[in-house]
Amino acid sequence: MNFKRVWALTRKDLREFMKSKYVVSVIIGIPLLFAILFPFATLMPMTQANPQDFEGEEFGSFVENLFSKTVRGWDGLNNFGKTMVLMAYAMFVTVLLLPIIIPAVTASETVVGEKERKTIESILASPMTETEIVTAKILSSLLPSFLGTTIAAIGYMGITDFILWKSDVGIILFPDFLSIVFVLIFGPLFSTISVELMIMVSTKVKSVRDSYQIGSLIVLPLILLIAAEMFTFFFASYATLFGGVAIMLIIIAALFKIATAIFDREKVITKMV
Amino acid sequence: MLAIETRELTKDYEIKKNKERVYLRAVDDLNLQIEESEIYCLLGPNGAGKTSTTRLLTSILHPTLGGARILGSDIVNEASKVRSKVGLLTETPALYDRLTVRQNLDFIAKLYSMQKEDISSRIEEIMDLFDLTEKIDLSAGSLSKGMKQKVSIARAMIHDPPVLFLDEPTASLAPESAKVVRELIMKLSRKEKRTFFICTHNLFEAERLASVVGIINRGKIIAEGSPSQLRELKKEETTTIFRFSSWNDIIKNYFVKGNYDILEINPEKKSISLFINDIEKETPLIIEQLVKLKFPMFEVRHEFPTLERIYLELVESANRPTIEEEVEA
Repeated sequence: MNFKRVWALTRKDLREFMKSKYVVSVIIGIPLLFAILFPFATLMPMTQANPQDFEGEEFGSFVENLFSKTVRGWDGLNNFGKTMVLMAYAMFVTVLLLPIIIPAVTASETVVGEKERKTIESILASPMTETEIVTAKILSSLLPSFLGTTIAAIGYMGITDFILWKSDVGIILFPDFLSIVFVLIFGPLFSTISVELMIMVSTKVKSVRDSYQIGSLIVLPLILLIAAEMFTFFFASYATLFGGVAIMLIIIAALFKIATAIFDREKVITKMV
Repeated sequence: MLAIETRELTKDYEIKKNKERVYLRAVDDLNLQIEESEIYCLLGPNGAGKTSTTRLLTSILHPTLGGARILGSDIVNEASKVRSKVGLLTETPALYDRLTVRQNLDFIAKLYSMQKEDISSRIEEIMDLFDLTEKIDLSAGSLSKGMKQKVSIARAMIHDPPVLFLDEPTASLAPESAKVVRELIMKLSRKEKRTFFICTHNLFEAERLASVVGIINRGKIIAEGSPSQLRELKKEETTTIFRFSSWNDIIKNYFVKGNYDILEINPEKKSISLFINDIEKETPLIIEQLVKLKFPMFEVRHEFPTLERIYLELVESANRPTIEEEVEA
């Protein structure tokens, strides 16, 4: 594999993204919206509530077990504090949807967009191999997704911590081990899976609109995958963490193999509008 | 070594018609032998197989049958080598509109593994060649159609390929820019021994540029040769016109009573048009006679059938159903 060629194509795609208002709004705008809107819309109003009103509430052994293992100082929190932490984590899960939402736009743009604009023919006529093209397209969709998720996660954590610290809870929740693992390890892994699936869809369809529609269907099973990973991790140990990562890496490798096999020059050019 | 050589090159597309799979033959048993530094123009109506041929020869499509070599490299087994030897101008300019002209060229140069230090000098050189230096830092989307076409040609040439495939190179160019491109093609072919494979509808362009013209219809080459060789195919349509400074019945009667194949007598223009079977032999004899008779002749000229006429007639006759097809229908 010629990495210089791969990087040339990735860099070109990134340059194009940065000049597209639509893509920039998806990569930066939506993550910022997630980061700002969610804590202010959910946690902020709760700070106005009377902590006494939460006393006597039961969380159930499931939640208690889950959070006592993963959140530092959980047992020392009152019910109001526990509710705030619970809420903060629930909203954090939505931030983790970004690694699978952003690629639906970027991967569609980089492959189907090139087909629609007929610019892909000059790439197909170049000495780049199919594997190099697919790798470059994965990278160019992955990097914005990673950037968007990081922006959203940092923003969300910062604002949430500020709200929790200023409220009666008075703790700094993020970044904890769990959030770091999710943002830095699971986020990119989910993103890669989403990108690979979107590249496969993009290779097959003729228009960006078709790609978005099918892409939105692909997002659904991936959300289940995120939920499964989160619950496994909550219950677990380092063994399940590494096991989960290993399974995802196997999925990524298999999808890469399929994506490069599907990406055939002839099929791409004959499916061009 | 031949620049382009095809052997029974055939391409079928699988399409679905009424839920059934049918095969559409886009390129049919193509046998080409194109020498280095030749300018080969492929003429044909829409859907004749020009673009499919170009895509086969640039290793984008796989042939169904047969094969081809570009400067000795096989289009299937040595596809990567083939791609590095060729430059392709696609039918539409298809530039990255959000990027600048420089970024467009820089990107393609990197795909061909050009060295960083060579890229900027090559970009400047080629921009200068196309008179585009002032536009280099403008976004491609802000350029006119003609400018985009020029940038696209520059892009196809950025890596200095020995064989260039150009699909409608002067389409959407102003006449003066089209002339610049034609002159450039001629110069590159003669001085730098580059080979050009040009798909075009522009018969005027083919007539001026081509060393060899191939006429393709329904995927098959129906005629091939230099423009003058193609004219020979329709030599019976060459007209010889004699014009006189004054006109009278003596002149008219001379031709009418003589054993000439008269196509038109035009007293207003004081001219007579003849079909002459062997123009090289017979024309001087007729001129000698007319001079002897002291007819006031001041002009003799041959009107050869144009490439356009030859092309249209060949395509029309190729599209005419055969007796077997008519019976079957």
